[in-house]
Amino acid sequence: MRAHFKSIVYRLTLLFALISTVVLLMLGALIGKAIEQHFVEQDVEWMNSKLQLARTLLEKVQSPADLAALVTQLNYSLIGHQNLALLIRGPDDQTLFATAGIDFPAALLVRGAIRNPPQPLVWQQGSGAHAQPLRGIAALLPTGVAGGTPVLVAVAIDITHHARFMASFKRSLWQVVAVAAALAGLLGWLAVRRELAPLQAMGMAAAGVTASHLDYRLAVDAVPAELEALATALNGMLARLEDSFQRLKDFSTDLAHELRTPISNLMTETQVALSRARSPDEYRDVLASNTEEYERLARMIGEMLFIAEADNGLIVPSREPVDLANEVRELFDFFDALAEEKALHLSVTGDGQVSGDKLMLRRALANLLSNAIRHTPVNGRIRVHIGRAGNSTTLLVENSGEPIPPEHLSRIFDRFYRADPSRHGSGEGAGLGLAITRSIILAHGGEIAVRSGDAGVCFEIRLG
Amino acid sequence: MKILVVEDETKTGDYLRKGLVEAGFVVDLARDGVEGLHLGESGDYDLAILDVMLPKLDGWQVLASLRRTKRELPVLFLTARNQVDDRVKGLELGADDYLVKPFAFAELLARVRTLLRRTSGRSMQAELIRVADLELDLRRRRVTRAGQRIDLTAKEFALLELLLRRRGEVLPRSLIASQIWDMNFDSDTNVIEVAIRRLRAKMDDSFGFKLIRTVRGMGYVLNDDPE
Repeated sequence: MRAHFKSIVYRLTLLFALISTVVLLMLGALIGKAIEQHFVEQDVEWMNSKLQLARTLLEKVQSPADLAALVTQLNYSLIGHQNLALLIRGPDDQTLFATAGIDFPAALLVRGAIRNPPQPLVWQQGSGAHAQPLRGIAALLPTGVAGGTPVLVAVAIDITHHARFMASFKRSLWQVVAVAAALAGLLGWLAVRRELAPLQAMGMAAAGVTASHLDYRLAVDAVPAELEALATALNGMLARLEDSFQRLKDFSTDLAHELRTPISNLMTETQVALSRARSPDEYRDVLASNTEEYERLARMIGEMLFIAEADNGLIVPSREPVDLANEVRELFDFFDALAEEKALHLSVTGDGQVSGDKLMLRRALANLLSNAIRHTPVNGRIRVHIGRAGNSTTLLVENSGEPIPPEHLSRIFDRFYRADPSRHGSGEGAGLGLAITRSIILAHGGEIAVRSGDAGVCFEIRLG
Repeated sequence: MKILVVEDETKTGDYLRKGLVEAGFVVDLARDGVEGLHLGESGDYDLAILDVMLPKLDGWQVLASLRRTKRELPVLFLTARNQVDDRVKGLELGADDYLVKPFAFAELLARVRTLLRRTSGRSMQAELIRVADLELDLRRRRVTRAGQRIDLTAKEFALLELLLRRRGEVLPRSLIASQIWDMNFDSDTNVIEVAIRRLRAKMDDSFGFKLIRTVRGMGYVLNDDPE
């Protein structure tokens, strides 16, 4: 049952049926009431007209003898109607006339309780299958006898056919309500199912998405307006997943490639060396060359581990005050020889202190600077500016040189990514420097971005 | 100088022993934590090299036990993981230095020598260092070679001083970066090569006898014996 209540189709179907039942019942009650009211008015009007006739006749009565004669006359003029019953009580409350077989209820005949205009009263004559519903009114009518007590006249009519009509009306109403509720439920069920079909289709499509089908996108035009936001959001999610997956795939491929090259070098070199006897110097050369490869491999593995651990939140930077301008100046000092070789002009402006891991931040900045030095042409300049933006400290590293095409910019922080594929294996590191910088900045809760224009390239770091 | 090496990985242990013996140390090799602790407590060592992942007793436990009896013994520990936790834990337990595997042997050797020098307190406070025809006047910050005055920048002077103080030792690039520039991470640049080249241009190139030699794949060494 709980499962049913969780179903939108089930709940909406139930709701539609309920609403149509309630609405129809209210409508039926209203109409029934109006019809009944109409019947009462009709009956009362008819009975009043009879009373009016009695009044006119009674006004002509001058003596008790006249009254007796009148009763007979009334009997003739009124009782011609089959459904009509009559009761007349004289001034001293003796019954002058009563239609046979009809018992007027005593409540109707209390002189003190009679109102003008008269109030109708309904009662059952007889019981069981022969029960006969009656509606009656009573009035006190004056006679022509001066100072005489008025005569009580009560009229009643048989309302069996009215009661039958109402019973049949109620029966029909219940039937209509039942059918309408069923119909509303059914139509609601169909409509809701139909309207929810796109959702099901989306579900089916999502179920079919696997790592190899991440290029699938939902057709936003084909879904109802209310589902467009959902479809767009799902598409966005798919796009991000696809991008991340692509990066992971590239990473695995690059990783294999990065490992294969030095290992293949090592194998070839060693096997060639072993293929015949050589002098100790030659062996020494081979071993030294191998060591260089090993060192590169070891460094690469260490850096990859660092990135992986940082990305998995395993590296928690310590927090100490770090003077950025001071760090930059120390790094300039470190890179001084390199910069001088290329006649680069290094400068730092501004000032700022952040809270972070000094060693890690220094490493991040060192990678940015060595990257800048590598890509700045001879006689170029590298400018570092430290400033504040809102609550965060910013550090800009700008270098003159060729702009980086946009397709490379977005992937520049990816592991092993090199804007220039020909730099592969040129001994300039594994292409992990900027990825490490990014990981360090992210581990500090900061942000890093890069932009490129005609004047060169600018990296921007923001730290909390 | 006697060194205790506790390392369970067969090849690593053998090569550490071989390398250290060839560098002039007396080496005892233990293959597990219990043996290592026993040797460490009974033998008289100048330094211990501990692997973290060891059978029977791990490196932390050995280190903690050793610290109770041998407060002064310098300990360098080797870890396969680069995690801050390991580093912090090791230093808290009283390790003096640590190296992350894989490491360069030259790096290990340089660190071992640094530790031994630190604890033996035999730092050379000489005011004048003289090697062959090179003279370094530490007080006046002046360098002469064959009587000829050589102008060096502050960092070049520091670099030359380091090479001189540790002459005969192969100094890896990472150690030089750490000692001279306080850069304690691997840099993928050739800063050290360039710095050495510039230093050589000033104090080696125009002289017949080259003091600074490159040991391929390992680092740089300053030698006063012409080979």
